[in-house]
Amino acid sequence: MNQFNYLHPASTDQAVSSASSDGSKFIAGGTTLVDLMKLYVENPSTLVDVNDLPLAQVESLPNGGLRVGAMVRNSDLAFHPTVKEKYAVLSEALLSGASPQLRNMATTGGNLLQRTRCPYFRDVTAGPCNKRNPGTGCSAIDGFNRTMAILGTSDHCIATHPSDMDVAMTALEALIFIEGPKGKRSVPINDFYKLPGDTPHIENVLEPGELITHVEIPPAISTKQHYLKLRDRASYEFALASAAVVARVEGGHIHSVRIAMGGVGTRPWRAHEAEAVLTGKPATPAHFQAAAEAALRGAKPHTENAFKVELAKRCVIRALKVATA
Amino acid sequence: MSDCRIQLTINGQQTSVEAPPMKRLLDVLREDLDLTGTKEGCGEGECGSCSVRMNGELVNSCMVPILQAHGAHIETVESLAIDAELHPLQKAFLECGGAQCGICTPGMLMAATHLIAHNPNPSLEQIREGLAGNLCRCTGFIKIFDSVITAAAMEGSRTHAR
Amino acid sequence: MPDAALYTPTAIIGSELPRIDGPLKTSGTAMYAADYHFPHLVHGVPVTSTVAAGKIRSIDTSAAEKMPGVLLVITHDNVGPLFRMAPGGHDGRTSESRPPLEDDIVRYWGQYVAMVVAETIEQAQIAAHAIKVDYDPSSFNVSKVLDDSPTEELPLHTESKRGDAISAFASAPVKIDQTYVTPAETHNPMEMHATVAVWNNPKFTLYETTQGVMNHQHVMAETLGVPRENIQVITRFLGSGFGGKLFPWPHSALAAAAARQLNRPVKVSTNRQMMFQNVGHRPRTQQHMQFSATPDGKLVSLRHDYRNHTNLGDDIHENCGEATPFIYSVPNLLLTSALVRRNVGTPTPMRGPGAVPGLFAVESAMDELAIALKMDPVEFRLKNDTLTDESNGKPFSSRHLKECLQLGSEKFGWSKRNPKVGSMCKPGDPDVILGWGVAAASWGAGHGPCQASVALLNDGTARVSCGTQDVGTGTYTIFAQIVSDRTGIPIDKVRVVIGDSALPPGPTSGGSTCTATVLPAIAEATDNAIKVALATAATAKDSPFHGKKPDGLAFHEARVHLEDRPASTGTPYQQLLKMANIDAANGEGSTSALNSNPEARKYSTHSFGAQFIEVEWDPGIARLRVSRVVSVIDGGRMINKKTAENQILGAVVMGIGMGMLEETIYTPKTGQPLNSNYADYMVPTHADSPSIEVHFIEYPDPILGEYGARGIGEIGLAGVAPAITAAVYHATGVRVRELPVRIERLMQSTVQV
Repeated sequence: MNQFNYLHPASTDQAVSSASSDGSKFIAGGTTLVDLMKLYVENPSTLVDVNDLPLAQVESLPNGGLRVGAMVRNSDLAFHPTVKEKYAVLSEALLSGASPQLRNMATTGGNLLQRTRCPYFRDVTAGPCNKRNPGTGCSAIDGFNRTMAILGTSDHCIATHPSDMDVAMTALEALIFIEGPKGKRSVPINDFYKLPGDTPHIENVLEPGELITHVEIPPAISTKQHYLKLRDRASYEFALASAAVVARVEGGHIHSVRIAMGGVGTRPWRAHEAEAVLTGKPATPAHFQAAAEAALRGAKPHTENAFKVELAKRCVIRALKVATA
Repeated sequence: MSDCRIQLTINGQQTSVEAPPMKRLLDVLREDLDLTGTKEGCGEGECGSCSVRMNGELVNSCMVPILQAHGAHIETVESLAIDAELHPLQKAFLECGGAQCGICTPGMLMAATHLIAHNPNPSLEQIREGLAGNLCRCTGFIKIFDSVITAAAMEGSRTHAR
Repeated sequence: MPDAALYTPTAIIGSELPRIDGPLKTSGTAMYAADYHFPHLVHGVPVTSTVAAGKIRSIDTSAAEKMPGVLLVITHDNVGPLFRMAPGGHDGRTSESRPPLEDDIVRYWGQYVAMVVAETIEQAQIAAHAIKVDYDPSSFNVSKVLDDSPTEELPLHTESKRGDAISAFASAPVKIDQTYVTPAETHNPMEMHATVAVWNNPKFTLYETTQGVMNHQHVMAETLGVPRENIQVITRFLGSGFGGKLFPWPHSALAAAAARQLNRPVKVSTNRQMMFQNVGHRPRTQQHMQFSATPDGKLVSLRHDYRNHTNLGDDIHENCGEATPFIYSVPNLLLTSALVRRNVGTPTPMRGPGAVPGLFAVESAMDELAIALKMDPVEFRLKNDTLTDESNGKPFSSRHLKECLQLGSEKFGWSKRNPKVGSMCKPGDPDVILGWGVAAASWGAGHGPCQASVALLNDGTARVSCGTQDVGTGTYTIFAQIVSDRTGIPIDKVRVVIGDSALPPGPTSGGSTCTATVLPAIAEATDNAIKVALATAATAKDSPFHGKKPDGLAFHEARVHLEDRPASTGTPYQQLLKMANIDAANGEGSTSALNSNPEARKYSTHSFGAQFIEVEWDPGIARLRVSRVVSVIDGGRMINKKTAENQILGAVVMGIGMGMLEETIYTPKTGQPLNSNYADYMVPTHADSPSIEVHFIEYPDPILGEYGARGIGEIGLAGVAPAITAAVYHATGVRVRELPVRIERLMQSTVQV
C-alpha cells in the first residue's frame, strides 16, 4: 500500500483538527479500511487513529434510550445486557454479521461507514467503477450483479450497502452525533446515507474532518423486534436480503411499526410504504403480504438479481410474522 | 512513513519490534518473532487461520496493522501449552481428529479458547456460530465440534480469559 | 473372490489411533513450506496479467527498480533459462506446460508477467504494484456454454462403447435426455501455495507445498535444467491440496530462478486471489446424458457425451466418464468426450477428478429415470447392480455397492420416505419441507510403485522413511501403524521420516492411491529389517539365540523369541543389536505398480459407496440447508478408522460446497475470476455442517495387497452433489441440472407447506 502519515490523537478535538487535510481518514477497527488499503482502493495520505479516544461507552439515557460510543466494538454492543434486553433487533443484526473475529474489531462508528462488498469496487483491476473512480462507469450493471442492490440504484451504481447493524439502527431510528471543524451536529440515520445518484463515491453527509462520536438510540418500549437475514451460506456471509422489524402490537393490531431492509438497497432501506400499509391493521398474513409488496414496489432488478425482489418480500413477511407473534 | 518501534507483550513476554506501521501483526509474529504457529489462510480477514487474542479479544492478525498493536497483549497458539503439557483443547483436537492438515488448527484453537473462555459449556449451535469465522477445508467440522465439546468437559480445563 | 492372500493384522490396524503428528499440529510447531526462514531470505511477489488474452507491449519496471529494498525485477526479458518438459521419456508431470515468462503472450487473466524480489515482503508488494504493464489485448473466450463443435485439434473421443446405445435409446420405452453442468471450482486448501528456494551452487533445496516431492523434483530438474540429484524437495507438512498441489505451478520455477540469480534464499507465496488464477481449478463440464430403461426398471442404454474446458496451451481432460462404463449393468453404452478451449488458467485434478462431476450427471440421470419409471431410486440402482465390469468383462475385485445402498437405507430410514414431491414436513416445524435423496459413489482403486526403508534401532525405536508426504490425510500415522503392527514396537517409538525427495522414492499423494502404494513397501521393508534382527540374534556371541537357525526365530512385541515359545520369553531386539554392536537392523522394501501384477490384471478394481442426504427447504424464506447425511463407503480395509472417518466427513462437507455454494465466476467482460476470495467464493462454514454418519463396509480387497486397503481420499465426495439435487427435487419439485443449486432456481417451486 502507499505511504501515509499516521496520527494518534488523544482527544476528539485533536482528532478532528488532525483530519482536516485532504486525503485523511480516521481508522478505528480497520476491518474495512485496512482491507481496502491493501487493495489500493483506499489510499489515504493521513491516517488518524481514533482508538484511544474516550468513545467506547454504552450508557442509558434519562429518556430510556441508549447512547453508544463510536468506538464500542460490535461484539460488545451485541452482548451488552441493555441491548439484548431492549434492542434485540440490534443484537441479532450485529451477531448475524461477519465473524466473531471481525465483530471484535469492528466499531459502531466504523460500521456506519462500512463500504460495499461489490467485487468491482474492491478490485482496482476489475474494470470501471464510479464509486472507486468517479466518472469511469459501472461494471456491475451489465456484469456480475446477483448480489447487487434493487432499491435506490442509479445508472451510475448498483452497489449494495453491506451492513446488518445499520439496518437495525435504521429501524430503531438512531441519531448519529458528529463532531467536525465547524462544530457538533446530529443527523437522524435516515438522513445520514445518500443515494448513489450520479455521485456514488459520496455515501453519506459527513464533511471532510467530521468524526462520528456516538449514536443515540431512542427508547423502543413495548416493542417486539426481530432481525432476519437470508443468505446462501448458513453463516459468515453478506445478506441477500434482510429485514429489521420494530413493532408495537396491541390486541392483535399493529399500533406502530418500523421496517428496514438490508442486502437489497444502496443504503440501509427504510420501508415507510410498508409501515403505512400496516399501521392500525391486524397482524395477519394478508397485511404482511401487502406490506411486502409496498416495500418492494420501487425495486429495479438487473440481469441476475430479479429473485431478490421476491426474496426480500418473503423476508419482510417472515420477519413481521416472527416479530408480531 | 518510516518504520516505527512497537512495544507489545507476546505470550507474556514483553518485546519490541521495529517495523513498517502497516506491517501485519501476522507477519511480525511469523517473521520478526519466529512464531510461525500462527498461519495465513487468506490475508483478508475471511478465514480465521491467523486468529490470535489481542487484549483478550479474538482477532484476525492479518487485519491488524502493527501500529494498532502498540502496547497490546497478544496470545498465540504457542501460549496454549504450558511446559510442553498440552492445553485440554489441544489434546481434544488431536484425540478427536479436530486437526487434519493443520493449517486452520492454530487459529481454530485460539477461537475455541476464546469461545470457551466466554462460555464454558457451549451448545452445538453456539459452537457452530462461535467458530463460523474459522474456515476448515479438511474436516467437515464435525470432529471440531467433538473436540470443543470434549475439551469443555475435560476436568481441569484451564480456561481463563486473561 | 480373487485368489490372493490376506494377512491378519494386529489390533493397531483398523484402530482409532489419533494421528501421530497431532501434537506438532496443535502446538503450531509443524513446519509448512511458508514457515521456513533463512538468513538473507528475500521475498518474491509476482505481477499478474490484467487481461485475459493479448501481447505484452512493454513492461515499465523503472519506478519499481528504484524503490527501497528492491533487488530484482524478473520479466520475460531476463528470466533466464526455464525449460519445458521433453515429450515422453520423463516420469514427471507438470501442471502448465509453458514455463513462466517464456514469452510475451498472455493466455489467461492472472498469468504471471513479472516478479519483484525485495528484501521484505512489504517492499516487494509496493514495488510489484508500481510495475506498469502495457498490453495489446486481443479477444478472448470464457463462455460458460461448452457447445463448441469438436475440431481436428480437439476431436471427439470415443472412450467406451458396447452394443448400440443410439438405436436402443431411440426405441426404448422409458427414457430421459438431459444436459448437466458443473462449474469451475477452486480447490481452496487452507494453506496457500508457497516455495522457499535455496540455491547453494550447484544444488537447489525447495521447501514446497506439494503433494508429490518426487514428482516435483523430477519436474523442477527439467524446468531448471539441472541434474535431478541437484534438486531436493522438502514438504514435511502440507496444508492440504485436494489435487491442486499435485503438480508444480509456475511460482516454484520463478522462486528458483530468482534464488539462482540473486544467490539468496527466495520465498514466493501466492495470495488467496492467485489461488483462483494460476494454481489450477476443476474445469467446467457440460454433460449430455441419454439413459433408457424397460418399464420394469432394467437399464437399456446409457449415452454420456461430455465437454470440459481447458486452457490455451494444455489438453487437460476431466475424465467425467470414469465410472460410467462399469457402474451399472447395461447392454448398450456409448461414452464420448471432447475438450473446449477457454482463456482460463490451467485446469488440474481436484478431489475425485472426472468421477465427481461425471457422477453428478450419471446419478442425476438415474434419479430422473427412476422418477420416470415411478420406481424407488434405491431399488432402481439395486436392480441394475452388477458384479462384472461390463466394459471389459472382468469381475470386480471387491464390489459391495448393493450392501452400501441397503445399509444406507436402513441407517437413514429410507423406508419412511414418501416419494411424493413436497410431501414430508420437518417434525415440529411446519414451515419446513424435507427432501430425501440418494446417489451411488465410485472411485478407482490402484497403486503405483514405491520404495521404503525401515530401521530397527538399538535404542528400541524404529525409523521408517519414504519419499512421499502427508497432505493432511494421516500418512505419517499409517506408516507408524504398519511398522508397529509387524514388529510390536509401540507406536510412539516409531519415527516416520517423509516429505523429502532424498528419501527412497515414494508416491504422489493423489488419486486415493498413496495408502495402497506405500503399505506393501513398508511391510516388506519391515520384514526385511526383522530378518536382519533375527540373523543378528542367531549370530551375536552373547545372544541367548546364538547358534539357532534364524528361521526358527520370530519377532513379536519388539522381542526376538523362539518361534514355538511365546514372545514374552524372548529378548528385546535392541539388546541383541547392542550385544552385536550393531546400530540398526535395516530393511528395504518395494511395491510394484498394480498393473504389473498379472493376477491383478484379471480384475476391475474400484471403491464404491452410497450417499443419503436430507435437505430442509423453507419456502417462506427460500432457505435451503443440508440437514442430515448418511455416507456408506466400500473402500476395502480401513487402516485407521479415525483418519478414514475424517476423510469422509471432510469430503461430504466439500460436497455440500460443490452442491450448494461453490462456483468460480469468470466475468465475461474481462475474463477475470471475479469472486477470487473466501467471502465471494463460498466454502461451507461450521454452521453449514449437518449431522453426518459415516459407515464403512469393510471387505479387505486382496488384489490391493495383503492389507486389502484401497484408499479413501476421493470417494466421500462422489455422489454427494447428485444426492443433494435429488433431495432438492423431492422437497421442491425443481430439478437442478446445473451446479451449484441457487435459491433463485428453487423460488420457482410451487410446492406449499
